[in-house]
Order: sequence, then structure tokens, then C-alpha cells
Amino acid sequence: MTAYTGQMNGVAAGRPGPGRWWRKRRTEALLALAALPAMAFLLVFYLLPMALLLLQSIEDGSLSAYEKALTDSLYVGVLIDTMLIAAYVSIACLLLGYPVAYLMASAPAPWPTVGIVFVLLPFWTSILVRTYGWMVLLGRNGIVNRALLELGVISDPLPLLNNTAGVLIGMVHVLLPYMVFPIYAVMRRVDPGLIAAAEGLGAPGWQIFRRVYFPLTLPGVLAGVTLVYILSIGFFITPALLGGGRVIMIAVLIEVQVRQFLNWGFAGALSAVLLAATLLVYLLLRRVFRSDLQWN
Amino acid sequence: MAPTADPNRPTKPTAGEGDLTLAGVVRRFGSVAALAGIDLTVRKGELLTILGPSGSGKTTLLKVIAGFESPDEGEVYLGARKVTSAPPAKRDIGMVFQNYALFPHMTVAENIAFPLQMRKIAQADRARRIDDVLRLVDLSGLGERLPRQLSGGQQQRAALARAIVFGPRLLLLDEPFGALDRKLREQMQLEVRRLQRQLGLTALFVTHDQEEALILSDRIAVMDQGRIVQLGTPQEIYRLPVNRFVAGFIGESNLFRARVTDRGEAALENDIRFRLPEGPRPDGAEVGLLLRPERPRLLVNGERADNMFAGTVVEVIYLGETIKYRLRLDPGVELVVRWPFREASQSLRIGDRITVGWDRSDINLVAWS
Repeated sequence: MTAYTGQMNGVAAGRPGPGRWWRKRRTEALLALAALPAMAFLLVFYLLPMALLLLQSIEDGSLSAYEKALTDSLYVGVLIDTMLIAAYVSIACLLLGYPVAYLMASAPAPWPTVGIVFVLLPFWTSILVRTYGWMVLLGRNGIVNRALLELGVISDPLPLLNNTAGVLIGMVHVLLPYMVFPIYAVMRRVDPGLIAAAEGLGAPGWQIFRRVYFPLTLPGVLAGVTLVYILSIGFFITPALLGGGRVIMIAVLIEVQVRQFLNWGFAGALSAVLLAATLLVYLLLRRVFRSDLQWN
Repeated sequence: MAPTADPNRPTKPTAGEGDLTLAGVVRRFGSVAALAGIDLTVRKGELLTILGPSGSGKTTLLKVIAGFESPDEGEVYLGARKVTSAPPAKRDIGMVFQNYALFPHMTVAENIAFPLQMRKIAQADRARRIDDVLRLVDLSGLGERLPRQLSGGQQQRAALARAIVFGPRLLLLDEPFGALDRKLREQMQLEVRRLQRQLGLTALFVTHDQEEALILSDRIAVMDQGRIVQLGTPQEIYRLPVNRFVAGFIGESNLFRARVTDRGEAALENDIRFRLPEGPRPDGAEVGLLLRPERPRLLVNGERADNMFAGTVVEVIYLGETIKYRLRLDPGVELVVRWPFREASQSLRIGDRITVGWDRSDINLVAWS
């Protein structure tokens, strides 16, 4: 989605020679041509269907679908639940991912690479397979419950499936790399000299972390949180399977509207609300970014 | 001035004698000794420079003093307190780093407040001290800026303010002027010197820049291969370098390898002979003859000198207030001289025939090895 700035550059950098100008133009035109297939693909299979869906949401010439989506306590509840779950997932990913990223960033030579491979490993497995895997692990008679019962930690199986806990576990698992990598990338760029300076100025270890290291890694944290939060809001497979129909996130709701009720109009309205919410979160987090946070 | 007999010879230091004392400090990396037995005392209120080329061990020494490295042998004292194994945070040292290491997410005032907060100084006192130090380094009114909103020189001042605001026992400066352009560097050097004197700070300055060391220091410790090879005032180091390394490293020099003969002369290659200064001379020994470029004179109208040679001008380099000439003396050695611009020498051109001369007292004998 890089903005097309060629024209500006051409004017600013181009010398008066017309030959040069044309050559530059031609290169730009060729590059634009190369991007055409992808643009066409996005247009036909993404923008067009989305436009159609949005059109359907106002097909009857009224905004009643939106009114329903934004006032009916059932749907507002789902929207709020979705946002809450996304927030929980983001926080859990941050708490789990930050130490992992730190270990990777501070480990000596071969270990960062090993860490990257291990964090990426789940990516190479289908999300569906992973989600079914969690069903095996988390069920009433799943491995987790059986192990805990054997060990005598619990006396009754924990309800880990078909509820929010299960959805959270599955989503955190899938989304953790999206948190780890941005943080890791920023951590790698933190100047060790600043840590030494803090130490030399009399700061104990935890103060160095709290006052210097963590603030310096905040851009990575915000990038990770943004990614995970936005991806969470639209999650479908994991909540659908691990929530067992009892945890309704907005994407699940949309699917139900389409598949069971064939209510395309309302599905369109919900999609628009989801899109708006995503954009809103994105803009909000980007604002925070934009302020004074990019010092690396 | 201290009444010590020979300032060039490091005496066995005693703890508490100065603000920083190093006694027999050794640091090895594998089989290489980065520090091969360092004895040094930095006196109260003096600015001592550790001068050496890269790889001489000066950075390791700095780290040992600051506490980022522990010595394998020997002790480090700040005042009378042994800090050999104390972590950096528990030492009382203000550091100015090569690239300033200002915290980019804090304002200048917050940066300066940092060491005060770590020492649990009360808010009111803190504010006053920050104000004072900002005025001292001429950054009043810039406290709310972020470091990246400051110029290089201003960042340097902020780093200095942060290092001195908590009244440390010792100020460590690690090549702090490297990133500044020449003019600003000179200005900052003088300013640091002024502040150090004004506040009576004990300061240890680490650099590879001999010119900077000569300008700034009360005393210079020249390091080579993990040892302090010479310790003395800038004048002593410049005029009486102890060996070939120091002679070559400090200032510009003509250095000749020679053997002392029994007639008060030294024989160079090609059987060229220089008359040597009076004093005890080891006959038959191999020595280095040091002749600073400003020493030889252009001999005109039959002027004479102890050592006189005819030669040819090979190269002329204008340096502003002086002109540097490379001469080839007829016996076949090259000599670099620097003469003030005003003298008759200004009309010399490449290929001109001249006679140069210098007195025997212009020559310094230094150890060749």
C-alpha cells in the first residue's frame, strides 16, 4: 500500500532533459503495470464483494440494520465481548511474549535464531489443525485435565473447552508470534550504551528496566498490541471451534447471519461495524505511536 | 604541585592518597593481558588523561574503573574505599560516554534528574540542582527539550551536566569529543576544562587524540600494550618522552635509530653523525634520537650550529601559522621541519638547496626498544 510518489520525485529530482524524463516515466509505468494483477485481484475478490455486502446492508433504503446492530443489547453485547476478548488476548500475549522477545534479544549468537524458529514453528501448521489440537488437549478428558487430575492438583476436571478460557488459550497460541516479533525487532535496536549509562548513574536492575529499557521498547509493544488486537477482533475459526457456540465473537455472529439466517443485509451491517471498530482501534493506537515514541 | 622525586616513574600507590587509586590492576582476556599491571593515582582536583592508541588497553582500564569489568588482579580505590568488586551503580562515578548515551525518551531535565532520583534526593533539592547545573553548562531554558532536539554540542553539555549533577567523586570522560566537528570540539574541550577547574572535579579522561590530551590535561598517562609507559605533565611527555613509542605517538617527530659512539656523537645509518647533548650516555648503546620539527633552524649568512647539514626541499605544506617542509639531507636521511610563516623560509620552494642546523641540546635521547 505504498503511496505513489513517483510524480513528485520526477518533478523534484528530474533535470530538464526530456529524454531522462521519459525514461523515468517509462520505468514508473512499467512498475505500475507489474502491480496491476495484484490490484485487480484485490479489486475483484476483496473490494468489490465488500462493497456489495455494504450495499446490501442499506438495501432497503434505511439504516435499520445498523440501528439494530448498534442498539440491540444482544449485538452490542457481542461487540463488547469481542473487544474484551481481544483485549484479554492482547494483554496475555504481551505478558507471555515480552519475556520471550527479551530472551531472544539478549541471548548469545545461535539462540536468537533458534528462538525465531520455535516461535515461527506453529505458523507452519494450519490454524485448523492447531485448533483441533487444542480441543484434544483441553477437553474434559483431555490431556491437560487428566494430567492435573493424576497429579492431584484438581479433583474435578477444569472447564477449559467451549468457554472463554478455551477461546483465549487458542487465540493467544495463534497470535503470540505477532506480539513477539515486533517487540524483538525493537529490542534488538536498543543501544546497550544506554543501559550501561543507567547502571553507571546508579540505577539498580529493576529501575533500569522500568525507567530505561521498557520505555525504549514501547514502540515494539504498541506495534505488537495493535497487530494482535486487530487480528483478535476479526477472529473466527478459533472462537467458533473452541467456544463451542457459547462464546460469540462478532465474526462468528456474521457467519451465523449469513449461513443460518441468510440475512445478508444484517451481516453486511455487522461487517461494517467490525471494519469501523478495527479502523478506529488502528487510528487510536497509531496516534499514540505518532507522538514521541519513535526514538530508535 | 606534588613534591615527588620523579613524576615519570609511577610509585607504588596507596589507597586514599588520591580520589582514584589503581594498584597492580591486571585484566586478561584468554592469554592476552589487556591490562598488565596498572598502578595509578589520580590526585584530588586534577584532570588526568589516559592516552593510547586503540588496543592499548585504555578502554579496558576505563571499564575496570567504572565497574563494567572486574580486574583479575589488583585493587581499585575511590578515595579510601575499595570498590574493586562493586557494581557500577555502587561506585560514585559520573560518566560521559562517547556518544553521550542520553536517554532519548526523557527530556534533558529528566535525564539530569535520573542520577538524583536513583540517589533518592528530595524533589525540591532536585529541582534546584537541575537548575544550577543547567545554568552551569549553559543550557538554561532547554530543560524541557528532548535530546534529539539539541545540537551535538548541546547534547554534550547535557551529558556532562548529568554526570556531575550528583557530585560524584570522579568524573570519567570516554572520548567525549569524538563526534563533534573540529571547531566545536575545541570549544567544548576548553569548556570542560573550565568547569573541571571551577568545580574542583577530579577527572579521568580517556582518548587516543594526543593533541586533545596535551591541551586538556594536568597529567597524561601514556598507555601501550596494557601498561602505562609514561606518566607526566604534557610538557614532560612532549619534551622528554621515555621511549620511541611515546616519542612517535605524541606530537610530530623526527626519530632516528642510532648507536652512541665514544666521542659524544651518535652514528646513524650511512655513517651520518649527530652531536649529542651533554650528560651521561651509554657508549655503544642503541638509542632513538628525537628531534622535534620546530627545532632545526634554517642557516643563512654563514650561521653555525652543532649539527649542520645541506639538503634539498622535497615537500612544502602550508598549515596556516606554520609551514611544514620535508627535507632530504645530502647524507641521505629525511627530516621534517616546521617553521613559522613569517621567517625567510616562506619563499622556499620544492627543489631549493638549503642548509639546516640544530644544537646538540635540541636532541632528546629515547629508548629505541
